[in-house]
Amino acid sequence: MEFDFTPVIDYFPTLLKGVGVTLLIGLAVALLSILGGQLVAVISLYTRKAVNWPLRFFIWLFMTTPLLLQLYFLYFGLGELILIPAIVVGILGLGFHYMAYNADIFMATIRSVSHGQYEASRSLGFGHLRTLRYVILPQAFYRALPQLSNNMIIMVKDISVLSAIGIGELVYVSQYAISITFRPFEFYITIAVIYYLINLMMEAGQSWIERRAAYRR
Amino acid sequence: MIDITPLLVKAAWVTVDISARALFFGFFIAAALVVMRTARLPPPRWLARAYISVVRGTPYFVQLLLVFYGGPALGLRLDPFTCGVVVGAFNIGAYMSEAMRGAIESVESGQNEASRSLGFGRLATLRYIILPQAAGLMIRSIGVLAIILVKNSSLVSIISVVELTYQAQRLIGSTYKPLEVFTLSALMYIVIIYAVMGMVEFLYRRATRYTFR
Amino acid sequence: MTQTTDTPMVELRGVKKRFGDLEVLKGIDLRVDRGRIISIIGPSGSGKSTLLRSINNLEVIDEGQILLDGVQVNRPDLKGLAFERHINHIRQNMGMVFQHFNLFPHMSTLDNVTLAPRKLKGMETKDARALGMELLERVGLADKAEAYPSSLSGGQKQRVAIARALAMRPKVMLFDEATSALDPELVEEVNQVMKGLAEEHMTMLIVTHEMAFARDVSDWAMFMDGGVVVEADTPERLFSNPEQERTRHFLRKHLGSQSSTSA
Repeated sequence: MEFDFTPVIDYFPTLLKGVGVTLLIGLAVALLSILGGQLVAVISLYTRKAVNWPLRFFIWLFMTTPLLLQLYFLYFGLGELILIPAIVVGILGLGFHYMAYNADIFMATIRSVSHGQYEASRSLGFGHLRTLRYVILPQAFYRALPQLSNNMIIMVKDISVLSAIGIGELVYVSQYAISITFRPFEFYITIAVIYYLINLMMEAGQSWIERRAAYRR
Repeated sequence: MIDITPLLVKAAWVTVDISARALFFGFFIAAALVVMRTARLPPPRWLARAYISVVRGTPYFVQLLLVFYGGPALGLRLDPFTCGVVVGAFNIGAYMSEAMRGAIESVESGQNEASRSLGFGRLATLRYIILPQAAGLMIRSIGVLAIILVKNSSLVSIISVVELTYQAQRLIGSTYKPLEVFTLSALMYIVIIYAVMGMVEFLYRRATRYTFR
Repeated sequence: MTQTTDTPMVELRGVKKRFGDLEVLKGIDLRVDRGRIISIIGPSGSGKSTLLRSINNLEVIDEGQILLDGVQVNRPDLKGLAFERHINHIRQNMGMVFQHFNLFPHMSTLDNVTLAPRKLKGMETKDARALGMELLERVGLADKAEAYPSSLSGGQKQRVAIARALAMRPKVMLFDEATSALDPELVEEVNQVMKGLAEEHMTMLIVTHEMAFARDVSDWAMFMDGGVVVEADTPERLFSNPEQERTRHFLRKHLGSQSSTSA
C-alpha cells in the first residue's frame, strides 16, 4: 500500500473552506444552544405546568433520540412542508439538540443557587424577573460553565454528522474530494488531525475560561 | 401501503445488537487501557494516554468513515456491521477507561492504605477493596456511555448498516409519512434507552447493596 | 532505655524523609524493645505521623534504615515486584490503626476482621470466623459482627479497626492518632482496648494527642518537633519535669486544656 497526500495538498483550500463552515456552524450553534438553553431552563422552572410541560417533553425527546434521526426528521420531514436551506436545518437541528442538553444543565445550576440569594435580592426591592436577571442567572451561568464548555466541545465534533444532510462542512467537502481523487484514507486521516487540533484548542480555551470564571463561583 | 412497524422493529434489533457487541468488546478495551495507565514503565502509559486523547479528540463519525473507507488502504476490509462494532468498541473503550479510572480514584486513599498496611498487594487491594467500592459509580458511568453508544449507533447508517435510523430515513423517503416514522423510531430508541437505564439501576443496586444494609 | 533482651522489635537508624523541599524527618534514631509501649507526642507538622507511617512504608523514607524484629523494612535495593513481595510480607507483621479508621464499608464487621487472615494466610473460613469472633469479643463488639461499618459509632469503628489489625497476629501495633477523630465521649472505649493490649505486653507505637493517656499507658515517651526528637524519657519525667524548653512550652499548652477532660 502506498500513501499519497498530494491530493490532500491540492484540495487544501477546499478543506480550509470546510473548516471555516464547520467553525461558523459551531459558533451559531453555540450561541443558539446556550442562549436558548438558558431561556428554556427559565421557562421550564418558573412557569405553569401547561407551559413548561411541553417544553420539558421536548428537552427529554431531544436527549433520548439520536441527533441523526432528528436531523433526518427536520430535513426530510419539515423540508417537505416548507423550503428551508440545509444549512438552516443543520444549525437548528444541532442547536435544538444541544439546547436540550444545555437547558438540562442550567436547570440544575439555577436550582443550586441558594434560596437565600433570591430572598436577599427581593429584600433589596428587586422584582422576580430582575432577581433572575441580575442575581440568579449570572451565578447559575458561572456554575454551568464547565459542563457547558464540555457540551460545546462534544457539539463541534457532531458538526461532522451534518455532512449526512449535505451541508458543506469539513467532512462533506472532503467526501467530494475523495469522490474525485479516490484517496479516502489520506483525506479522513487529515480530517481527524484537523478535528484533533480544533479539539486541543477548545480544551485550552476551556481551561482558560474556567480559570477566569473560577473566582465568580 | 407498507406496514412500517415490523421493519422498524427488525431494524431496532440491529441497533441493540451492534450496541451490545460494541459495549462488550469496549469493556475489555477499557480495562486494558486502565491497566496500561497504571503500568510501572512509562511507554504503555504514554500509549494509553495518547490513544484516549486522540479517540476523544476526534469525532466518532470521522473514525467510522476513516476505518470503513480508509481501512482498505491498510488492508483492513470490514463489512459494515463489523466495522460498526469495532469502531464503536474502540471509541467507547477510550471513554469507558476514563470512567473506570474516575470510579477507582473516587475510592478514598485511606482504603488503599488500610489494605496495604494489612499486607495486601496492589492487585489484591484492587480486587477485594477498591473494585467492590468503585463498582457502583462504575456501573452508572458505563450506563451513561451505553446510552451514548446506542445513540451513536445511528451513525452506522451512513455506511449502510440497516439499523433503526437507516430504516427510518428510508421509510420517510418511501412513505412520505415523516411524523409517523419519526414517532415510531423515536419510541423504539426510547424503549431501548429506558431498558438500558433499568438494567443499570438493577446492577447498581446489586453492587451497592452494602450501603443499604 | 535500658534493655537486656536480644534484637529490638523496631529500630530506626538515621531516618530522613522530605516532601519536596521540606525535610519532615531529620535523622531519627529509635529503638523499641519487645513488649514496650512508646508514645510519640508533638505539635501537628512535627513529623510524628510521618514517622509512624514510614515504619509501615506508607511513606517511603529517603535515608536511613528501619528494622522490624531485625529485618530491614525499607529496601532501596529491591525494585518493582520484588519489593512488593517483601513489603507485603513485612506489613503482615505490623498492625496499623488510622485516625479515620478506614474500615472497608462494603464488608460486615466480621469480614473486615477476617479478610486478611483468609486471603493472606489462607485460613479456613471456619477458623477465620472463630478468630474474628474472638477478636471482636475482645474489643467488646461481638454483637456487631454482622453489622456494616456505616451503622457503627466512631468509637466502635476504631475498635473494629484494632481487631482487624490484630487478626494478623502482628508483632507490633502502630496507632496513628487513633482517637483524634472521635467525639470526646467515645475516646475512653478505644483507650480501654489499647490499655488491654498494653497489659498483654503488645509492642506498641502510639502517636497521640492524649497526654494523660500517653502518661498512663506508655513506658517511654518521645516529644517531636520540626522533624527531630526533642526529648525522650520515661513518661513520668517527660510529662512532669521535661528538660527542654520546647517540651515545657508544648506541655503547658496541652496539659492545661486537657486536664479537665481526661484524667
